[in-house]
Amino acid sequence: MRRRRPERWSGPLAPEPRPAGRVLDARLHLLDRQVLDDDEVPVCTLDDLELEPVDDGATPGPHAGTRPAGAATVVVTALLSGPVLRTRIFGGRPPSSRWQSVAWRHVRDLGTAVRLGVRGDDLDLTWPERWTRDHVVGRLPGGRHDPEGRS
Amino acid sequence: MIASDLLDVPVLDADGTHVGFVVDLRLVLDGPPDGPLARPRLHGLVVSPRSRSSFLGFERSAVRAPWPVAHLVRRRHRGTFLVHWSDVASVPTPGEAADPRQEAAVVLARGMTRYDARL
Repeated sequence: MRRRRPERWSGPLAPEPRPAGRVLDARLHLLDRQVLDDDEVPVCTLDDLELEPVDDGATPGPHAGTRPAGAATVVVTALLSGPVLRTRIFGGRPPSSRWQSVAWRHVRDLGTAVRLGVRGDDLDLTWPERWTRDHVVGRLPGGRHDPEGRS
Repeated sequence: MIASDLLDVPVLDADGTHVGFVVDLRLVLDGPPDGPLARPRLHGLVVSPRSRSSFLGFERSAVRAPWPVAHLVRRRHRGTFLVHWSDVASVPTPGEAADPRQEAAVVLARGMTRYDARL
């Protein structure tokens, strides 16, 4: 399908009133950042964000199905990590079952990396590492103690 | 809905005219408290008229260096604007496209305001 050229807008842009809270752009400040746990250990890369409408108290009326999307307040509820390499090249999105999520309540700080307030071992996200540690590395000779001999 | 469902998606105005692509989502940390930080609220969509790519946000910041890159990116993204989430009429729903031959698009409400997207 041939795409129409975008409309040429020549009017001035309205100045944006400064919102009360900290302002972030998802791609610029969050996506593809490294996620670190409470001990500064890398946990994953932030591949996507889960967005959900929150109950803003609006009473569903007879035209609820035709309500504009922007009428509902939408918030970020979780950080997502998943197999996005193929979909970023070829398009589409991974199935929802392949996403691993970290609830937003665990986020402690946002900077050059996203820092969590929990240990990585306590997250479902790191199960492959734990499984490899217990079933592969742990079975190698010397795989169950610190090579420096402290434990 | 996930952020990728909105990013890079074409944007149409209420008359069906193509006005650009969603290059970023503007979030504000003023949502309901949830842990150490407030939940980020989706404040609006950053729309670029010409390109669906986004590169380091030169067009949204005061950074001017390196000059060739900043100049090229600013030129590529000239006319970028912010549209508030309340001015969005409809967004594509994954897997529920009415016509698979037609590309999913974000449709803006009639009378929407174009805000300056600079941070």
